[in-house]
Amino acid sequence: MSSSINNGISKYTSTITEKFGEHVESINEANRNEMHITLRQLDSAPRICEYIYSEFHGRLSTIVCSDERRVANGRFMLRYVFSMSDDGNDVFIVVTAKIDQHNSSFPSIALQIPAAFLYEREINDMFGLTPQGNPDVRPLVLHEDWPSGAFPLRKDFDISTKMPREHKEYRFTKVEGEGVCEIPVGPVHAGIIEPGHFRFSILGEHIVNLETRLFYTHKGIEKLAENRSLEETLLLAERISGDESVANSTAYCQAVEKIAQSSLPRRAEQLRVVYAEMERIYNHLGTLAGISTDVGYAYGSARLNILKERMMRLNETVTGSRLLFGVNRIGGVAVDVSDEVGKTFIEIMNDVQQDFEAVIALLKTKSSFIDRLRNTGVIPRKAAKELSIVGVAARCAGLDIDVRRDHSYAAYSGLRIDPHHDSPRSVTKYRIEMQKRVGDALSRFEVRVDEVKDSMNIIEKVLRNLSEGEIRATVPQENLKPYSHGLGYAESHRGETMHWLMLGENKNIFRYKVRTASFCNWPIIEQAVMNDIIPDFPLVNKSLDLSYSGNDL
Amino acid sequence: MFEPSFATLAAGIIQTLVLIAFSPLLTGVMRKVKARSQKRIGASILQPYYDIVKLMRKDEVISDQTSWIFKSAPWINFAAVATAALFVPVMLAYSPFGLAGDVLLVIGLFSLARFFTVLSGLDSASAFGGLGSSREMMLSSLIEPALFLTIFTVSLTFGATNITTLVSSAAGLQQLVTPSLLFALISMFVIVIAETGRLPFDNPATHLELTMVHEAMVLEYSGKLLALIEWAQSIKHLTLLALMINIFFPWGVATSLSAAAVGEGLLVFAAKALAIGVIIAFIETRVAKWRLFRIPDLIAIAIASSMVGIVFFYI
Repeated sequence: MSSSINNGISKYTSTITEKFGEHVESINEANRNEMHITLRQLDSAPRICEYIYSEFHGRLSTIVCSDERRVANGRFMLRYVFSMSDDGNDVFIVVTAKIDQHNSSFPSIALQIPAAFLYEREINDMFGLTPQGNPDVRPLVLHEDWPSGAFPLRKDFDISTKMPREHKEYRFTKVEGEGVCEIPVGPVHAGIIEPGHFRFSILGEHIVNLETRLFYTHKGIEKLAENRSLEETLLLAERISGDESVANSTAYCQAVEKIAQSSLPRRAEQLRVVYAEMERIYNHLGTLAGISTDVGYAYGSARLNILKERMMRLNETVTGSRLLFGVNRIGGVAVDVSDEVGKTFIEIMNDVQQDFEAVIALLKTKSSFIDRLRNTGVIPRKAAKELSIVGVAARCAGLDIDVRRDHSYAAYSGLRIDPHHDSPRSVTKYRIEMQKRVGDALSRFEVRVDEVKDSMNIIEKVLRNLSEGEIRATVPQENLKPYSHGLGYAESHRGETMHWLMLGENKNIFRYKVRTASFCNWPIIEQAVMNDIIPDFPLVNKSLDLSYSGNDL
Repeated sequence: MFEPSFATLAAGIIQTLVLIAFSPLLTGVMRKVKARSQKRIGASILQPYYDIVKLMRKDEVISDQTSWIFKSAPWINFAAVATAALFVPVMLAYSPFGLAGDVLLVIGLFSLARFFTVLSGLDSASAFGGLGSSREMMLSSLIEPALFLTIFTVSLTFGATNITTLVSSAAGLQQLVTPSLLFALISMFVIVIAETGRLPFDNPATHLELTMVHEAMVLEYSGKLLALIEWAQSIKHLTLLALMINIFFPWGVATSLSAAAVGEGLLVFAAKALAIGVIIAFIETRVAKWRLFRIPDLIAIAIASSMVGIVFFYI
């Protein structure tokens, strides 16, 4: 174990062995950057998780539960995945705990690590395993009409089961007091968006409490993937959320490639970066336009929507799909970018960039616009940390999290994600910048603007230095052993996207766990609106850019 | 100058009909200007007429939780606003109904319309209606005093609250601008924008229920009743513009009942109304909606401006 390839892992291994030696069954290293700690007893999970969280500053990335009762060890397995990124280490610590068949509960870690509370509620719904000690065990994914006692992600639940409907009641948090009113908003909204219910408790115009209720469009993606072939599941992964198709398919492909221990041609890695950044650009432009619409500044949104449309047409010209569907394949990419296309690409993009900078300059001088954004929807840094939020929402609150840098993948390791890391001086400057970010809608606006420019620079840099060669490698099939598993991840425009994959017999999927950035970031909206008034809610919501589809898997 | 006669009475009724008939056109033009300045093509300027016709033909959905107020409020609203239009001169510097009421009555009629709209917002017991009603009352409790102050500033200058007297004195005014009128105009302009629910006060084009003021109150309406509400809103807009135009820019208004003068008056009025409509639409393109609790600041500007106007009158 001491002969670890990854320096980070050996450091953690020695500390864990020293502190928790008697609780640990084994520690092993897998897939280059995963460190698996298998526990002897379920009861020690909270202590070790808390230690990793508070002493190693690990960020809870996801909790994966899987029904492995019919497989070798005959148990439900819980895997707590922590992302470690201090000191430039690229490590995921996976704490693995086993739940015995006849045991239908597990100890909750939600009080120590608040970010775990949603995962635990999800596991409660989908596997019928109760988190002992979690103060909130109301149903999350399965709504009132779902019969109790049916747990869809257990292996003995047949996917084609027709469920009878039941009528139960969901208890929202009641706020009482003189003058407190409740406003129910949704699940069906004006405008063309997906369903979600928001229960506001208000005092006059001030929001006293907000409770969100989601999962109205739960599609059962994780169950659908089971027993499907790897190629079929790729199509499914792309369709988790239409505007994150590249991020999700990249994360999925990387999970498979990691398990297969295959290495990609350089050109494929570079093209993945190009497509991922294209996705980021058009989505950020759309969100910036949406922010402008929601403050009632239609001119700004019209200009930005034009730019978004130009980028989407560029997507179509380059890849054949406006939403960048079908660009990724296991082992590489499906679409190549010829030199000629690359040249026009850069030309059009530079043109868009000029326009973009003009619009942003206009917006920044518009006092009525800036005033609406400043101090609206403030994300407290403490809450951001505790709820382990990711992406722009985390960066706007001064948490420097970016999977592209922390757990660099594809061709990102050779690229500077932000231009601020060139010299010690600029690093200090960048850190000060980060500290200054207060987590309001204005800082989210600014972070997005910067990221659009960064993405354009990255694309230009990559396209100018595109390596020659193949765009797809054959994946070594012999490594795709039954019950081998791996993590795949990518930074979508919303933040860290985590996929966990376990193969079954015949190279089919055994368990596919998806956690998009929206799942992490939805809870923060309840905190972000606490100092706001009702009419500012749509702006707060838009500036966070949360996906319903990516959440309601 | 004008004697109450059958001819003037007829002219007065025609004036009112002009306001009622052409008000949706103004709305259409303003929407078109907004669309063009936002890089959109926009609907035809006749779209508000098509909308009214379409809504008239449609079925209504009325919540069974509502009372008579919900069904009668749009009628009261429309009647009150249309009655207010009777008192406001358009192309003539004269309104034959001036005997029956002055500018304070016009403001009162607008308040009546608003009162019933607010009640109807509460009547359907939907959360959005209640929000809209409470916001509308908050704003109107500020806008109404500002409007009264502005009218008083004007009344001081011309020595009357009767609209006919106001407009004919304004038309006969030798000076082009007096300071007190100038400040009253600034105030009046802000009030017209606020009263008609335009940006930066309220966004008439939004789909976000949580941010609405006027639209939130009428969210439950459909069909004929909605057509009445939208039409009444247009009439109110044009009536307020007519009031502003004829008090502050009365040049070209007909001071005799000859066909030529009336025709000229109508054309000049149309040009002025369009010009102001375009200016308002353009302003709407240039600003974002203000924070709800900053809107009182803007109305405070209107009040302060009227006060300055009053001070200038006495200096």
